[in-house]
Amino acid sequence: MPERGFATPGFLALALFGSLATAFLVLPLAILCVQSFTAESYLSFPPPSFGLRWYRTVLADPEWRQAAQSSLTIAAIVTPLSLVVGTLAALGLDRGPMRGRNVIYGILISPMILPHIVLGLGLFRIALDLEIDDSLWSIVPAHLTITIPFVVISVGASLQSFDVGLEKAAQSLGANRFRALWHITLPIIRPGLVGGGIFAFIMSFDEFIITYFLAVQTRTLPLEIFDSLRYQVSPSIAAVSALTIAASAALTVALILRGQVMAGGRIVQ
Amino acid sequence: MSPDRHPRAEAPDAAPPVRAWARIGRLRAWGLVLPAGVLYAVTFGIPLAMLLGASFARFQGGVTTPGFFLDNYVKIATDGVTLAVFRNTVSLSLLITAVGLACALPVAMLMRRAGPGLRLVAMFVLVSPLLTSIIVRNVAWMLILGRSGMINSWLIDAGLISAPLPLMYNRLGVVIAVVHVYLPFAVLPIYAALRAIDPARERAAASLGAAPWRVFVHVTLPLAAPGLIAAFTLLFILSMGLYLTPVILGGNFVVTLPMMITDAARNQYNWPYASAMSVLLLASIVAVVAVSAVLGRLFAVPRDA
Repeated sequence: MPERGFATPGFLALALFGSLATAFLVLPLAILCVQSFTAESYLSFPPPSFGLRWYRTVLADPEWRQAAQSSLTIAAIVTPLSLVVGTLAALGLDRGPMRGRNVIYGILISPMILPHIVLGLGLFRIALDLEIDDSLWSIVPAHLTITIPFVVISVGASLQSFDVGLEKAAQSLGANRFRALWHITLPIIRPGLVGGGIFAFIMSFDEFIITYFLAVQTRTLPLEIFDSLRYQVSPSIAAVSALTIAASAALTVALILRGQVMAGGRIVQ
Repeated sequence: MSPDRHPRAEAPDAAPPVRAWARIGRLRAWGLVLPAGVLYAVTFGIPLAMLLGASFARFQGGVTTPGFFLDNYVKIATDGVTLAVFRNTVSLSLLITAVGLACALPVAMLMRRAGPGLRLVAMFVLVSPLLTSIIVRNVAWMLILGRSGMINSWLIDAGLISAPLPLMYNRLGVVIAVVHVYLPFAVLPIYAALRAIDPARERAAASLGAAPWRVFVHVTLPLAAPGLIAAFTLLFILSMGLYLTPVILGGNFVVTLPMMITDAARNQYNWPYASAMSVLLLASIVAVVAVSAVLGRLFAVPRDA
């Protein structure tokens, strides 16, 4: 691929642009993290003095703890459910007849192009009509609708490079279909499962507008941050944000080390 | 491993299980799609159908009359405000898409020419924001672009400006923050398309005397067209649905159609009008997807040996 040299003006210009783009993508988050360690009662960069003051405040605050707990609970219910339903659907597509496969695949991933506001509005109406009070019952199915496409794409991509012959070999050796699936297919497509699961978790954890419409008494982390922003960005918001950035960075490393990079590429195609 | 328990063990590629799978499998395999299908019908199919139905209802004096009226659509076309907001949403989306593509193309080109190590770094840099909460990234930009944010306080301290620059609560702030969120979505399809290009084609053009920029414009870009079209479509669709970032970084100065929809539904309880605006939003997105599907076919790269 590098058909021309690395020291040409063209490549240097690209490298310069690449560095700028990297700075653009990474620096804002890094600056936010640095600011969150301020020991002052206001945010500035660089902070005049450092300390863990705001982390202590946030971790002791019942409202933030409650919000984090709601978000984690919802994501922890949504992730395994979307893995099961999405993997079943991907398997069905993979094994089903060729004819009609594209149509069904298209329907399965169609929530991705649907603006969440439209989905939120429609579900809001149904939740009102059904008088669903405990919003967990409406938020979980709603989140599933937006997370399943990511699992279908990620697992589907893994299944495409999976040799069905291996599963058949297991069956010819006496394993029933379920055992063959459990012991042969699922371990081999694990990168797709991990990638799909991580994306499902993040999508659910980060979802704002649908939850905004559906939440009756549930307060998720994005809703809590959004409400606190009405006044001004306080150091406690920076601390909460830095904590979620640390969690995402850990997930990214897990994702890349699992060789899921290209599946991530396919996700957005 | 006694032979009587595994009668087919000596011929692992024997036909029976394959035929059995084919016989039972094929059609029944679609049964596995059923759970997802049922869920989608409830959370996706029915709400959309209700939305479409409600968009034809009449809303007068706080009372909704179901039926087949065109009131809401007439209002969209004639009240002036809705169409202006729609046009504003489209132009904001085009602006975001253009800036996003202009930033994404060089990054994708760099990744194509980089070695495996640098490519891994690039992937990390691209994927990690993808996994970071959008609202958190908006908060980060508020801290940088705000009136007393990092840029303004540095410039004021340096004595370069006397009053803070208006970096947010306008289109500038929204575009910066949205491109920050969407850039990875644009880079990945373009990179995938660039990677599929056989460098021999570019070398052939260069060996025939084409200058580097001519090779780029006449060979590389047309071959990367499918990726560029995919990136354009994705960015435009995502931008049309923007709610959170315009609210946070645009203040009340950048109004998008989703903001109007939310206001109509949550503050005015005008469900029919919110539905009609949602139908308009969906229709414009479906139109863009359809056009890009046609374009994608026109620019499909012929795969020769």
